[in-house]
Amino acid sequence: MMKVGFIGLGTMGRPMAEHLIEGRARAARLEPPCRQRRLAVALGALHAQRWPSWRRAARSCAPMSPPAPTWPAWPTRCGRPGAGAIHLDFSTIAPGVAKGIAAAHAECGVDFVDAPVSGGGVGARNATLAIMWGGRDELAPRLAPIFAVLGKSAVRIGEAGAGQVAKACNQMILVNLIQACAEAAALANAAGVDFSLVREAMLGGSAGSRALDVFGGRMASRDFAAGVEARLHHKDYALLMDEATPHRRATAGGGGGMAAAQCADGAGLGQAGHGLAAARAGGGSMQGSLK
Amino acid sequence: MKVGFIGLGIMGRPMALNILKGGFDLTVWARRAESMAPLLEAGAKGAASAAEVAAGCDVVFSMVADAADVEQVALGAGGVAEGARAGLIYVDMSTIAPAAAQSISARLLEKGVTMLDAPVSGGEVGAISGGLTIMVGGDAAAFAKVEPLFARMGKAATLIGGPGAGQVAKACNQILTGVGVLAVAEAFNFARKSGVDAGKVREALLGGFAYSRILENHGQRMLDRNFKPGFKAWMHQKDMNIVMQEAHRLGLMLPSSAATAQLFNAMVGSGMGEEDSVAALKLLECLSGE
Repeated sequence: MMKVGFIGLGTMGRPMAEHLIEGRARAARLEPPCRQRRLAVALGALHAQRWPSWRRAARSCAPMSPPAPTWPAWPTRCGRPGAGAIHLDFSTIAPGVAKGIAAAHAECGVDFVDAPVSGGGVGARNATLAIMWGGRDELAPRLAPIFAVLGKSAVRIGEAGAGQVAKACNQMILVNLIQACAEAAALANAAGVDFSLVREAMLGGSAGSRALDVFGGRMASRDFAAGVEARLHHKDYALLMDEATPHRRATAGGGGGMAAAQCADGAGLGQAGHGLAAARAGGGSMQGSLK
Repeated sequence: MKVGFIGLGIMGRPMALNILKGGFDLTVWARRAESMAPLLEAGAKGAASAAEVAAGCDVVFSMVADAADVEQVALGAGGVAEGARAGLIYVDMSTIAPAAAQSISARLLEKGVTMLDAPVSGGEVGAISGGLTIMVGGDAAAFAKVEPLFARMGKAATLIGGPGAGQVAKACNQILTGVGVLAVAEAFNFARKSGVDAGKVREALLGGFAYSRILENHGQRMLDRNFKPGFKAWMHQKDMNIVMQEAHRLGLMLPSSAATAQLFNAMVGSGMGEEDSVAALKLLECLSGE
C-alpha cells in the first residue's frame, strides 16, 4: 500500500486530498505494482500533530500552497523525506524555484515532481483537473494512480520545472482570455448590447473558450464571487514576468494582463474573483461599472 | 422569396452558393465580372448593379470589405436604396464599425429599407461548409423572415439587439480571437525559450481552464508552422482598428485589445499582412532574438 501525504488544504488542496482518500483503494487496485511502494514519506509529520486523524494517517508529501518564496525554507522547517520518496508539488511556483528544489532533493535521493494543475476549485472538487508535470520519466507509473484520482488528464511536459513552464503558459493564455472576455463585456455594455447574448453567439464559433464559457458566464450574470482570487492570478503573473525577464521574451499581451491584474489588486479587488477584477478594472470606465 | 447577393469574394462566393443550393431564386452582382462567373454557372441570375439586384428581390445580402464599400453598395449611385422595392430587407454581413452600421441603417430606413447587420465568424472554412456563426442586429420581424437564409449559411444565427448590435458582437468576437492568438503565441514562444516542448504544453492545456478553440486550431497551426491564410493578419488589424475606434468613441479602456491591435500593426509593418494571424508567433520570436 502506498502512503500518500498531503500538505496544504485550501480551496484546491482539500478536495484533492479528499479524492486521494476516497480513491486510495481504487488506485491500488488499478495499479498493482504500486501496492508495495511507498510513494511518499513522512514529510508532514510535524504538522500532522495538529491534523485530524485521517490527515495524520496520510503522511504528507504533496504540498499545495501559493507563496513561492517560502519554499526554499520548507525542507529545513519540516525535514527531508527519506531516499526513494517523491515530493509531488501541485502548487504554482516559478520554474526556476522548482528546479532549485529538485536539485536540492536529488542530493538526498528524493525525487521532486512539479505538477501544477488547471481547472480551479470546480476541477479540484470534480477531479477533472488538467495536470501538467515535470520530472523523471521513470516516475510516471508511480504517479499515474495519484493523477488518475485527481484529474482527467496528466501530461508529462519534461524534466523538473517543465510542469511550471506549462502552467505559466496556461496562466498566460487564461488570464489574457479572461481579460479579453472582460473587455468584450465592457464594450458590449458600453454600446448598450446584452453581453449574455453576445457570449451565447460567440461560444459556438472560433472565439469559443472555457474562459468565455465559465468566466464570461459569470461576468454576464455579474457573479463576482471568488473562484480563483484575482490576487492569485496577480501572483502567477509576477512569476511569469520574472521568468520572461531572463529569457527576454516579448510578451505584449502579458504586459497588458499584468497591468490589469495589478490594477485589480490596487483597486482593492484582490480577494474577488478574477472575473470581477477584470470586468471592473479592465472595463476601464471604472466609476461606471463599480456601481 | 427572391434573394440577392452582392460581393462574391472569398467569403461571399461560398455563402451565395449555399443559398443557391438551398433552392432559392438568387440574383448576384459583384464589381468584378469574373467574380460573378462561378455563381452564374451554378444557376444564379446576374445583375448589372446593386440597384438592379434590389429591384428584383425581397432580401438582399452584401459581403464587402469595409464601411466605405457598404455605404456605396447601400446608399451610393446605383446602390440598393436606388432600386429597392417597399419592404426590402437589406442584410449586410461585412465586418464594419457598429456606429457605421447604425448610421447606414437609419438612412436606409428613411427610404423604406430595413437593414440587418449580420457579421459572421468562422472564416472561409465556415463559409464553405455552411458552419458560420452569425451575429445579428436589427428588427426582430426582419430577422425572423431572413432566418431560413441564415440557416443555409451558418449553424447558428443569434439576434443580439437593435441596429449595430451584430457589429458590437463581432467586435467582441475579434477581441477574443485577437487576444487569444497573441496569448497562445506568447505562451508557445515562452515554452520554446524555456526549452520545453510547446506541443506537450498545448496537449496539457487543452484539458484545463485555458482551453479555447484558438489553442486547439490556431495553436496546432503554430506548431506546424503553417502560416498560410486562413484569416489574414491585415484583416485582423482592420477589425482591431474597429474595436479601438469604438473604445475611443465610448471612452472605454481596453488594454489587452490595444496591445493586440499594436501587434497586428507590427505584423503588417513587418510584411506579414498577407500571412495568417498565427504568424504572430514569428514576430514574437523575432522580437525575442530568434
